[in-house]
Parts: sequence; C-alpha cells; structure tokens
Amino acid sequence: MAHARSISVLALTASAILALTGCAQSNAAGTAESTSAAVTEATAPLPAPFDGDAVSVALVRQSGAGDYFEAWGAGAKAQAKAANIDLTITDARNDNAKQASDLEQAIASKPDAIIVDHGQTDTLQPLISQAVDAGIPVVVYDLALTDSTGVITTSQSDESMASGVLDQLITDVGDGAKVGYVSATGFAALDRRALVWDTYVNDHDLDVVFSTGKVSESTASDNIPLVDAALKQNPDVQAIFAPYDEITKGAVQAVIQNNLQSSVKVYGIDISNADLEVINAADSPWVATSATDPAAVGAAVVRSLALSLAGQLDETDVQFPAIVITQDFLAAKSVDNVTALRDAEPSLTLDTTVVADWLPATS
Amino acid sequence: MSRTPPGNTTVVDRIRGGALDTVSAGIVRWGFVAVTVLLIGFFALTEPNFRTADNMFGMLKFIAPTAIAGLGVMLAMTVGGIDLSVGASAGFAVSIAAWTMVVGNQVGGVAVGVVLVGGALIGALNALLIVVARIPDLLATLTTMFVIVGLKLLIVDGKSISSQMTLADGSSAPGRFTPDFLWLDRGNIGPVPVPVVIFIALTVLLWFVLERTKWGRALYAVGANAEAARLAGIRVLLYRTAAYVGCGLLASVAGLLLAARIGQGDVSAGNSLLLDAMAVSLVGVSVLGMGRPNAWGTALGAVLIAVMVTGFTMIGLPYYAQDFGKGIVLLVALLFSFTFSRKRTVVVAGSMTN
Repeated sequence: MAHARSISVLALTASAILALTGCAQSNAAGTAESTSAAVTEATAPLPAPFDGDAVSVALVRQSGAGDYFEAWGAGAKAQAKAANIDLTITDARNDNAKQASDLEQAIASKPDAIIVDHGQTDTLQPLISQAVDAGIPVVVYDLALTDSTGVITTSQSDESMASGVLDQLITDVGDGAKVGYVSATGFAALDRRALVWDTYVNDHDLDVVFSTGKVSESTASDNIPLVDAALKQNPDVQAIFAPYDEITKGAVQAVIQNNLQSSVKVYGIDISNADLEVINAADSPWVATSATDPAAVGAAVVRSLALSLAGQLDETDVQFPAIVITQDFLAAKSVDNVTALRDAEPSLTLDTTVVADWLPATS
Repeated sequence: MSRTPPGNTTVVDRIRGGALDTVSAGIVRWGFVAVTVLLIGFFALTEPNFRTADNMFGMLKFIAPTAIAGLGVMLAMTVGGIDLSVGASAGFAVSIAAWTMVVGNQVGGVAVGVVLVGGALIGALNALLIVVARIPDLLATLTTMFVIVGLKLLIVDGKSISSQMTLADGSSAPGRFTPDFLWLDRGNIGPVPVPVVIFIALTVLLWFVLERTKWGRALYAVGANAEAARLAGIRVLLYRTAAYVGCGLLASVAGLLLAARIGQGDVSAGNSLLLDAMAVSLVGVSVLGMGRPNAWGTALGAVLIAVMVTGFTMIGLPYYAQDFGKGIVLLVALLFSFTFSRKRTVVVAGSMTN
C-alpha cells in the first residue's frame, strides 16, 4: 500500500511537471504571436513614441464577457497591434473590488499608459487621480468621473443611442403608450440612457407600467424571470425599452415565452452577431436597436490613446456616434451578421473618427 | 558463499520503500510551497513588473478578502462543517456598511461595529440551524446564503448605494464613505497596506488559537469525532456554535475590506468570493501536508492563487486560463489530501460522518 501510494505520488508529480512544461510552451507561442508586427494600411510611418520598442499599455476592464465586450476587446487588441502597443488586459468579470485591485496593480507596474474600460465612479476615481498624479496618461471608456483633470474620456454617445431608438419607439406606438422599462442603475452608460428615457417619458406622456431589470454575470438569462413576471402582470404593454443588448435578449425571450410577440415591441441598444440572429428570427419582437460597432469602438478607444501619446489629439472628450438599425432595414438588406451590417451601413466602422495617416482604423 | 541470505531482498526493499516514502512525504509536505516558490521565481525572472515591492503588497492586498473569508471557511471545517454563506455574508457587510454611512450618515467606526454585529448574527443563525435545528451544514448554510442575499437586497431596494444617490423620498443621501473607513483599504501601516496587516494578523491569531490553545484542540476534536469529544467532556454544541460565529465574523471582515475597496455599496460584491474562499481553505488542508484545516495553509493557498492570477495576467493569459489553473491546483491539492496522504485527512466538508 505504502509503495503504491509513494509511486503514485511520484507519478503525479512527474505528470504535473510534464503538464507545466506543456503550459510553458504554449505561453511562449502566445507571446511570440502577440508581439509579431501586424500588416496595416498605414500610409505614413509610426511617429514617436511608437517607432521604437512596443509601448506598454494596461487595459483594465470591468468585464470582458458577453458578445459586446468580447468584440470590443478584439477590436482594441487588433488596433493596439497595428500601433505597436503591447496591451496587457485584465478582466475583473464584474467584480468591482477586483477591478480596483487590477487598476492598482496596473499603476504599480508603471506602464506607458492606462485604459480603463467601464467601472464604478466611487471605486475608480481615487485610483485614476493617483495614476494621473504619477504621470501616467489615462484614457477611460464609458466611465463617469467626478474629476477628469488630465484624463481623456471616451464614450459611445449614449445620448444619440437612446434618443435614436426612442424616436423609433414613439413613431411606432405613439404618445401615451403603455411601456415597460428594463435596465439597471449604477452603470455609467445605463444611467446616461436612463436620463434620455426619463425625458422621453415626460415629453411623450408615456405610461410606464413596469420598471425592472438587473445586470449580473449572466444578464440575459437573469432578466427573463423579471420581465416574465412583469408581463404576466401587465400583458397589455405595447413597447419595452431595454437599453443594453444582454438585457434586451432577456426581455425578448420573456415576451416570446408569454406569446406576446404580436402585441409587444422591444427596443434595444447595441448590436452583435448573436443580437442580429435574435432580431432576424421569425416573429421576433425586437424591432429596433441602436448601435455602434463594438469592435470599431474598442479600436477607436485605442486610437484616441495613441493619438494623444503622439501629441495629435486636440480634444479631451471623444464621443463615438451611433446609428439606429431597424428590423425592416435588416430584412430589406438581408443582413445577418455584423460584417454584412458594416457593408450595409458603412458609418459603423468609425473609419473617419480619431484616425491619422499613420493610424487607420483596423476594423 | 554466493548464497544470498534470505532476508536481504526484504531489507533492500524496505530501505528503498523507506526512501520512496520519505520522498513522497516530502512532496506531500513541501510540494505546494515549492510550486508557489517556483511560480514566484518564474514570474519574477520573466516579468520585471512582478518583482517590485508594490506588486508583492498589491497581490497580498488583492487576495486579502478572499483569504480572510477562506480562514472563516477553514474555521467551520475544523468542526467538520462547511459554510456556503461566506460570500453572501461579505456582500451583506458591503451593503450594510454603505447603508450605515451613506443613508444613516454615521462615521466609519459605527459602520464597522454594525457590520461585525451583523456578521456574528449571521454566524449565530447558521449555528442555530445546524446545532439546534440539526439541519446538515451544507443545506443550512446554503439556505442562509439565499436568505442573506435576499435580505440585503430588501434593505437596499436592490440598488447599489453610492454617495449622492437619490432616496425614496426624492432627497439626496446625506452621508458618504468616510475617510477613516476607506483607510481600511487605502491606508498603510508603515509600508504595508492595511488589508495585508489585517490578513496576516488574523492568520497569526487563528494559528495561535487552533494550534496553541486548548480551545483549538477541542475544535479539532469535535471535527474528528463529535461523539468521542462529547464523551471526553468537551462542550460540542458550544464549540460548533463558536466556529460558525467566528466564520460569520471573518466573512464580515472580508466584506469590510471589499466595501472600503469599492467605495460604494455595490450589490454584486461578494458574489465571486464564495468559490475562491472555499478553494483556498481546501488547498490549505493539503498545503503543508497537515491533512486538516489550518491557518497557515489557508493563507498560503490564498497567496498561491494571487500569484497565479497576477502572473498569468502579466504574461497575457485570459481569465478563463486562470480558472483552469486554479482548478488544476485545487485538484492536485485534493489528490494530495485525500488520495496520497499517509495521514488520515480530517476534513469532511458538509457532513458529520467520518
């Protein structure tokens, strides 16, 4: 018994070492890939500080999960590669304490610049001030700051996103309609969209019969029961405004579960391949969404940083405009993925926003 | 002359076996320490940013809430139990601390007091369900987890509490997170961040209580065999109650650190804490080859996870690779504790049979 046990311990140790060796090899391969130069269509050489060693940038994200954030991260990575930026990404997975630690550690590692993607104001403001004081350039995306001195703020224009899709809602159901609202508070983007919503509710006498919603690790499925209950209570609702695609998907699912897709229209915000599939499904209640292309936005945030490091960015607040996409438009152009959507609606690629001859948009 | 004495092979075997056993015992005892040291060495060599003092303290600070909640689970494990409500208790602490300061307009010290009382009460509720109502630990603490999460959301209307938030009556919240409370995360004692000091102090305290006092021996005795402990004159119910109350207190300390770090009453705080806390306390059982829940092992398990998460991030691995790494470490730890250990492992997470 003792022998068998000892031998199995040794065997396990040996296999663990083998497994670790395997890991090491794949790490090396990964590093090599990420540092290899990318082919770009730049028409001018990279200016300082991008013409020497790779510029180290820490990207501190609140969450990288979900179609939108996945695409955003991919866009940022691709643009970073093209601009000779070595991007170190941390993903707090919606754990705000973890994001604070990540940012703290990023500051301690003294990178050439930091990008903060989403987050809670009270949590991150002191750390961002600390980074600015330490002389590290900071770019934030979709994060409301109380003191943005020395910080470059970027956002997709939530004002234009919300108002675009709400104009469509009013056109479809008219003033005084019974509407539902599914969203959460405490997220900069959602809070800004909520302000626009409140204005529309007042201006158009909308009758808000329910307000619910949450953001979690699995937002889409966690919103289904909430909207389901609200619909059971108010089956006569005419339209639902769900201003974040993961929440929109949950709302759509709940409407279908209750067999209300002929009478209830859902208005969302954001777009992804998965979203397009939901919108294009037969009898889908999701009739309009307002969107930027997340990959293009992720890339544009990195471009804002690059231009600012090269001393070529004149503004300190950069906004990325949105467009409204309706179910009918998608059907007419038979668009079923984001690539096709970019062809049908070229303004999505942001190829004229924060670009330079040495820094074209990658997506 | 060439005849081999009959006993020789046996002796050689025994010697070989002895050497093998010594090696395997060494691996069991020091394997995890070695892996941790090797990983630290590897990252320190390859990543210049890893070997800075800032980063070392940063890692310890980042893992402190998880480690402290893990110490709580470890305490419940000493009496043969488990506590699934640690994450919920920590999240409860975050919201209650925020509510006390922002809505109740109290100073940080009051918030700390309220949170600790709350934590002790949650522990007492667990103990009541387990010791008096005789519901199995796993089920009782699972129930408590849901009750606490729900209660928290009821108290705060499902909202994250932040300064200047609008209250139900339309006015703005009067208070804010006070600097003395934020000191819990942002302050330093000498060069050492406060959370790290608290983490180390609690580890030493629990090590001392468990290994150097009769209370510690009694806790382990209850965990090993409650009936024998009772016959030996140990007040089993009292010790089990104390372990759960201690666990609730530690979870609320973890929550205080999270609250100070986040700087607002984030409703989702603590959600990710349970599994990590469970993992570090289970790793802790095997880390030093002790085969039972212990304070230093738990602390070391937490450090190992911090090193992995930070190092893997620096070399550019995505978060799911970190989960995989954590899973492998836990698997190996459990194999060492349950499969290869020569000592009988005294951890029976969630049942009272042995």
